[in-house]
Amino acid sequence: MTCWTCNESVQGPVCAGCGAIQPPRPDPDYFEVLGLPRRYHLGERDVEKAWRTLSRKVHPDRFAGRRAVERRMSLQWTATINEARRVLRDPMQRAHYLATGRAAPEEAGGPQLDPDFMETIFELQLEARVDPEGVREQVETLRAQVEGELDEVFSRWEEGEGPLDAAEDLLARLRYLGTAARLTG
Amino acid sequence: MANIGIDLGTTHSLVAVVLSGKARCLLDDDERALLPSAVRYDLEGVPQAVGWPALERAGEADGITFTSVKRFMGRSASDGRVAEEARRFGYDLVEDDERVLRFRVGSRDVTPVEVSSYVLRLLHARAEECLFGRPGGAVITVPAYFDDAQRQATRDAARLANIDVLRLLNEPTAAALAYGLDKAQDGEKVVVYDLGGGTFDVSILELDDGIFQVLSTAGDTALGGDDFDQALARVLLQQAGVTEPDGLTFRRAVRAAEAAKRALTDAEQTTIVLEHDGTRIEAGITRADFERLIAPIVARTGEACAQALRDAGLTPDDIDDVVLVGGSTRVPYVRRYVQEAFGKEPHIELDPDQVVALGAAMQADILTGSSELADDMLLLDIVPLSLGIETMGGVVERLIPRCSTIPASHAQTFTTHVDGQNAVDIHIVQGERELVKDNRSLARFKLTGLPSMPAGVPRVKVQFMVDADGILRVSATEELTGTVASLEVQPSYGLSDEEIEDMLEEAIDNAETDMDERLLIDARVEAEQIVHHIEKAIRDDGELLEGDEAERFGALVGELKAAMAGGDRQRIQDLSKQVDEVTAPFAQRRIERDLELALSGRSTAEVSRTLGIDA
Repeated sequence: MTCWTCNESVQGPVCAGCGAIQPPRPDPDYFEVLGLPRRYHLGERDVEKAWRTLSRKVHPDRFAGRRAVERRMSLQWTATINEARRVLRDPMQRAHYLATGRAAPEEAGGPQLDPDFMETIFELQLEARVDPEGVREQVETLRAQVEGELDEVFSRWEEGEGPLDAAEDLLARLRYLGTAARLTG
Repeated sequence: MANIGIDLGTTHSLVAVVLSGKARCLLDDDERALLPSAVRYDLEGVPQAVGWPALERAGEADGITFTSVKRFMGRSASDGRVAEEARRFGYDLVEDDERVLRFRVGSRDVTPVEVSSYVLRLLHARAEECLFGRPGGAVITVPAYFDDAQRQATRDAARLANIDVLRLLNEPTAAALAYGLDKAQDGEKVVVYDLGGGTFDVSILELDDGIFQVLSTAGDTALGGDDFDQALARVLLQQAGVTEPDGLTFRRAVRAAEAAKRALTDAEQTTIVLEHDGTRIEAGITRADFERLIAPIVARTGEACAQALRDAGLTPDDIDDVVLVGGSTRVPYVRRYVQEAFGKEPHIELDPDQVVALGAAMQADILTGSSELADDMLLLDIVPLSLGIETMGGVVERLIPRCSTIPASHAQTFTTHVDGQNAVDIHIVQGERELVKDNRSLARFKLTGLPSMPAGVPRVKVQFMVDADGILRVSATEELTGTVASLEVQPSYGLSDEEIEDMLEEAIDNAETDMDERLLIDARVEAEQIVHHIEKAIRDDGELLEGDEAERFGALVGELKAAMAGGDRQRIQDLSKQVDEVTAPFAQRRIERDLELALSGRSTAEVSRTLGIDA
């Protein structure tokens, strides 16, 4: 990459030579933007650290005295890294992003789930309203089990040994189980 | 060119600047840092005074003094609570304009933006005077909970005052900055507890290696030190047997109560003195009495603190520092309450009234790029309320959730639901409620010029972008056709750009009128002195007049007096000059006579007196 103003070779969002911010790419990959490996197994601290380091470089306050075009680019850069951080620091959102290439929607939904699972969820939610204490353990056990499966899918994928096909389904299950867990207090 | 920091407060405002590496508040001629956020208008709607003189004349019948207009900034007249608050302050709300909130003063309408601009202008002038030159730009602080419209209104006020705004900064962030908490270690959590005269805000910040982040914010816009004064005043009146006090009596009682509150900051007890119906009422009050009285009020701040902790996902044990802001935090009970609530001794090293302005000045200095702090400090704010748009059935679709770090952007694609629809209405709202009607309406956009397509086919991409000031920009494009679609912006919260331009022009026109008026007054004053002087000379030394001088002088002075009653400044000045010239020989004769008298043996002192010289 060469800097758009001084034509020197440039690494990262800001030219080390002339200090100009580089044009942000449209629809960038969030991992790439933050300079993180494409992995499910990441610490929240890793994401925060990468995001902070970049914030220092690209934040509009750093470009307060520069040309309008640079101020605009800095705004776009910062908005992008803020969105990347919002998505990647939460394990569920991170998993969803890896599996689908998109940030997770706010509401439940997604793929068609196994009718037996939906039946179980329906019953658990009904019972949770009547006797939250009674079903809490059952919900937690089920949740831990699905989380384990998800973890395994990603572990294999990170080793280059398996597809992520099952991930979307597991994530949808976890969203339902999350709702059930909230009901059991 | 130094950049300045301005705290545009509800009751008071301040301006501060970093000089030789240290932030300090700039003082007025009477060495006061605080400027009351008060503007006095006469009954014709012409601004008369700003600050202390405006406040002193509040309640007088020949005009109206606006205070606390910050409460109305960026709000709309159709908001029911606005009407109620306006009544409480005795402001005459213009009801027919739902879009822009205006107060009726005589034949004119006055907006909160205009009132604020006068306060800003005075602070800016103070800075210009203290710095011996026009300041560069300004950082202006706003409450962390201010929504988009309130931030826009603040920017509009600055623009009207001809101030270049570098950045709007959240007040709690400014306070943490003033305390130099940026040197904090990894992940330090700071509570900023801001109890002013009429508002309470609490914010939780995370400081991490020079990066300040607002995690959550909560508060109560109708809670403050004024409530302490009023509670105490009510007890006082009750003790005095006054059951239904009139407005004036109540105001007097509140003033006495406020003085007692201040005294009790240091003293264990004090005496309140109140005049009522010609009798003098004295009541003793101890600090313990006062604390019992305000305990339930202070407890209400605890609810907001708990909310802020919940939103940030923290417990009091996670808090490392507590910063106190606002004059009401001088009350010892408030300090103890905060200390107990968070289990930390709060910071009180800085003047709680000045903290926010000092922090704003530091941020202004950082933005010059030359500050030592510039390289390692960064302030990151959040959006206080979710931003979204209206979808089918009046439901809100959130595009940017609350507490998102700004700048933030989000795009979402929508479609049409009627065949051949050529335009799409995009209604932008802010708030946490599900239904549009329960949220704050910010603006309506119309995307026009769509080619006719079946329902559900067009792909309308709506892009939200919140900048570092927390101000929202929205764009909408139809993606499939690539047709350039036009976008009409109609802000529904406040002033359009044209209205701002009009107000700017009006301000400039007014400035000219003001200047003319001042010159006229100056001319009259000068003419008055000339007339007084010549009339006295004729009375004292009439024997020195020659020929028809008595008649000529009399006629000329008469003409000048007639001109003074009129408004023609030029004629007053011309006639003044003429009187001066025509009477010069007479004046010369008087001086010569006095000198002769002196030489003929009268004392120097006597002559000096005659000549008007101090011996």
